[in-house]
Amino acid sequence: MRRRDFLLSTGAGIVGGAWLSGTLQQAFAAPAAPHVVWVENGEPADLLGAALKEMGGIGSYIARGDVVVVKPNIGWDRAPQFAATTNPDLVAAVVRQCLNAGAKTVKVFDRTCNNPLRCYANSQIEDRAKEAGAEVTQIRENRFVTKNINGEVVKEWQIYRDVLEADKVINLPIAKHHSLSRVTLGMKNMMGVLGGNRGDIHNNFAQKIVDINRAIPPTLTIIDAYRILTANGPVGGNLAHVKQTRTLVMSPCVVSADYLALDLFGLKIDDVGVLGEALKRGLNKYDLKSLNVKRVRLG
Amino acid sequence: MEKLRRVVQIVFLAFFLFLFLLARYPYSGTFEADLFLRFSPLIPLFHFIQDFSLSWAFWPALLILAATPLLGRFFCGWICPLGTTIDAASKVVKSPSNRIYAQWEKLRYLKFAILLGCVILALFSVHVWGYLDPLSIFNRALTVVVYPLGTIAVEQTLLSVTKVHFLETPAFFVYDLFKSSVMPEMQSHPQQLFWIALFFGGILGAEKLSRRFWCRNICPAGAWLGFLAQFRLFERIVGEACPVCNKCQTECKMNAIPSGDVKHTSKVECIDCFNCGAVCPPKVNAITYRWRWKPYHTPVDFNRRQLMRTTAGSAVALGLLSIGLTNRDTRDRRIRPPGALPEDQFTDKCIRCMECARICKSNGGCLQPDQIQSSILDLWLPVAVMREGYCEYNCNLCSQVCPTGAIVPLALDQKQHTPIGLAHFDRNHCIPYAQNSDCIVCEEHCPTPDKAIKFEVKEVIARDGSRKMVKYPFVIRELCIGCGICETKCPLPGQAGVFVTTENQRRAGEPAPAIAAPEASPYG
Repeated sequence: MRRRDFLLSTGAGIVGGAWLSGTLQQAFAAPAAPHVVWVENGEPADLLGAALKEMGGIGSYIARGDVVVVKPNIGWDRAPQFAATTNPDLVAAVVRQCLNAGAKTVKVFDRTCNNPLRCYANSQIEDRAKEAGAEVTQIRENRFVTKNINGEVVKEWQIYRDVLEADKVINLPIAKHHSLSRVTLGMKNMMGVLGGNRGDIHNNFAQKIVDINRAIPPTLTIIDAYRILTANGPVGGNLAHVKQTRTLVMSPCVVSADYLALDLFGLKIDDVGVLGEALKRGLNKYDLKSLNVKRVRLG
Repeated sequence: MEKLRRVVQIVFLAFFLFLFLLARYPYSGTFEADLFLRFSPLIPLFHFIQDFSLSWAFWPALLILAATPLLGRFFCGWICPLGTTIDAASKVVKSPSNRIYAQWEKLRYLKFAILLGCVILALFSVHVWGYLDPLSIFNRALTVVVYPLGTIAVEQTLLSVTKVHFLETPAFFVYDLFKSSVMPEMQSHPQQLFWIALFFGGILGAEKLSRRFWCRNICPAGAWLGFLAQFRLFERIVGEACPVCNKCQTECKMNAIPSGDVKHTSKVECIDCFNCGAVCPPKVNAITYRWRWKPYHTPVDFNRRQLMRTTAGSAVALGLLSIGLTNRDTRDRRIRPPGALPEDQFTDKCIRCMECARICKSNGGCLQPDQIQSSILDLWLPVAVMREGYCEYNCNLCSQVCPTGAIVPLALDQKQHTPIGLAHFDRNHCIPYAQNSDCIVCEEHCPTPDKAIKFEVKEVIARDGSRKMVKYPFVIRELCIGCGICETKCPLPGQAGVFVTTENQRRAGEPAPAIAAPEASPYG
């Protein structure tokens, strides 16, 4: 056999084998997990537990020894009941789940809009996540590294090193009204790991957000909708605008999670420019038309 | 005694620094961070001149004033942190002895002239003494110069050490330790740094001329205490054994021992440092200190001619200051902290100690020492520079740490309903107006429960001829509290598309406008 043929057939063998093993795995695996889970009517930790059960357990996302970044929204100096920041009980529950799955460390941080110490304290996320065993740290300017993004608009941007180095990233936004993008959900939440002048993102917002989500796709997106902010977002500050929906949406695909969460606000995909842009650019892992949604209502 | 004095000096300096570091978020108020500033013996004097009030808030100063006629200027020698720093500086620059200094001795009168000038101006309600108050000088220099430059130095050193491969982890560990304890979470960049550094550096550098040059010749607090100490009861007694070796005279920090007459002490100048006793040769040991109920009197070095000159000089200064250098253009940029008294009273009460700016640096970080904007007396008043930082909605700390009551303490709920200014859009800069393109970062950050920045959506024609909807922001005057987060967060690189002016500001004691206040604060 000539060397060329040998190389060719070996290559073909490897490719074929890989394909075959993939197909076999698919064929013999447990019934496929749903694309998105919607759980309602429960306390944050119960919602999370139920959703993870549907998704095949936290073990399907977090492996033993993983360094996990949990990225909640701690953006504002607001108490949890104002629904401007992710529910602290949910953050703690996620941290516990990750640690139970054998994660080596769980890091929790966010680049805030208001004073960081105040946001961490007043949102109660710092205390609760620390209790649960997470490493809660302030953003340090020196830890941003410039990453090549090669998006349509954003060519490069500073991204927090801990996110780039993490094995898994859990995106943990709260569902809120937002004046510019109509709602802020999973994709927008990833802005919290960006350095530089984030105000610049607001111009050509949809394209830039999609560029960034392409560059740093989260492992799992868990949308906190225990309380949602229906107006005056993203800061809120008025309890009249807070609606207790006691819901949680979870998906390994941030676009699908965001898409389903629109139901909370009674919005359609055309209302939210970022989602339209994400679909146009193929950021979604699943076809939204044939999305396998599992809805659970806790008793 | 001299050793004890050194220990006490260091303890008070450490106490001052401790309170300085305490003035940051989170601030509980268990220890009042402004306590040491209320040690200043000048504050009760000038507050009394201002409105005949003696507030118990200044109990440390009142205690010092009460003890001074008995003990003399012990405050200068034992307590004043500026004095302690000056002592340290004199070790560095190696001050000359009093023999060389003789020619400067007649400068002593200057501090009384300065004090008298300040008093005369204060009688006409122009308060400039705060610039020269030793505690205010020290706190101002710490806030504006030492702390920011110190943290930059430490931070950059540690960060450059992290670049060395094997030192990365330990250096970051130390860095994080510093960041969470001593260093600020956000580096502050105060304006006026150069001038305040020059002022402070000048005081320390004058040690090259003599020991305690500032305290001997310029400090109005020293003059005031010296004036009270003329008949002090606690005296230095020189026994018969004295061989007149003149050692105490040449070593005296304050040159308080006359060169021809070592048995006497100027009670006006002596700061109780007890160096004279320490340098008296042990075999002789002629110097003792004791109480005497029939004290001798040493007069203040201030003759009638100097008094006339000072009075005339003060009149000229008063004239110049009241004619002023007023510029209406910049008047609307004098945004003072929430709870500040009306501008005239505020200028009178504020001692420019920068304690408010210090605590603000760990919050929104808007307060800066002001420059001369529309009047000379604007200098180093706290001013909110919103492009640098903003007034944090849930913070009222600047009003909690004002030592003189120039900023009246506001409850958080009150503060959130006290406008310090009003936002204005500059449509030539603001991105939606100037470029027909979406932005509204300002609206997003606006913290009031009913947003003071709202927007209208208008259809415009894009470059390719298609129609698009753009959001144009505007301000609701009745809702805006002038916190300035819109100006801080405006993504434009330089001049912001939205800025805050003093329009609509409400000072302490001024009635609320007739319009309905925004909904009650929801913060728990």
